[in-house]
Amino acid sequence: MIKIFKEVAAELVGMFVAEKRLTLAVLALIAVAGSLVDFAGVNPLVGGALLLFGCLILLIESVCRSGRAGAS
Amino acid sequence: MMALSAAAPAVSAAFLASIVEVVEAFTIVLAVATLRGWRPAALGTTAGLGLLAAIVLLLGPLLDRVPMTALQLAIGIMLLLFGMGWLRKASLRAAGVIPLHDEDAIFAAEAAELTEQERRRQRNLGWAAGVTAFKAVLLEGLEVVFIVIAVGAGRGLLVPASLGALAACALVLAVGAIVHRPLSRVPENTLKFGVGVMLSAFGVFWTGEGLGIAWPGQDLALLLFAVLFLGAGLFASTLARKLAVGFA
Repeated sequence: MIKIFKEVAAELVGMFVAEKRLTLAVLALIAVAGSLVDFAGVNPLVGGALLLFGCLILLIESVCRSGRAGAS
Repeated sequence: MMALSAAAPAVSAAFLASIVEVVEAFTIVLAVATLRGWRPAALGTTAGLGLLAAIVLLLGPLLDRVPMTALQLAIGIMLLLFGMGWLRKASLRAAGVIPLHDEDAIFAAEAAELTEQERRRQRNLGWAAGVTAFKAVLLEGLEVVFIVIAVGAGRGLLVPASLGALAACALVLAVGAIVHRPLSRVPENTLKFGVGVMLSAFGVFWTGEGLGIAWPGQDLALLLFAVLFLGAGLFASTLARKLAVGFA
């Protein structure tokens, strides 16, 4: 039974941490966008654009990095 | 009356994501049923569905107590991480960097595992088979539950999203009952790519709303986000394929 719970816990973590570096980068991006909007008084739409385009860039970077690593 | 344009993205995301997960669970349950009979497969499946129902019944009322902004931010962040994870993996599979999900291979692996269990010990085979089915339903079902809650809770669309997931279950089970073999012809990576795009778009949208960003065009912004994530996924996949060839 403990083994099943461990597998369930691992599955839950794995659902949100597909790749550690990508996960940390997305969380950092959200923190930066949120801080700019909430504390620095930046226009919310600028924060939104940063969030959106930051995620797109992080996705491309992560896939390309894995592509290089997979081939090497 | 709920606008179709508001419910359609949530329902279709729940439906398509559930197809992917239910096909994966079905493959393992079918392997159990084929090798050990339908009784342990049905018992394990029922126990898994029962536990999932209990999780939903426990979580559902809790969600009503969380302020909407905090709920949107939390769900948005989780959707973003989950969706981008799916999109990343689907892009890498499309690029040929990692192998495609193969239901026939998974069926064969589960069958081999159950046969190995039989060789090692003759007792409790029904229990082991039931546990295998239980785990498959629980683990894949957790993802379905998360997706339904995530795409439904932020806009009060839990019921339509649940109906989308249930429709996917019914469809997979109906097709599975007819063909009675692993559903290896389901274009799983294409579905996963599409769902990853939709969940990532939802993730940016709700994370932004949770941060106090009023997106221009409101719900229509979701379409733009989906198009951008689709483009980024396809572009990344093409680049990864070239990089993999170049470095090989």
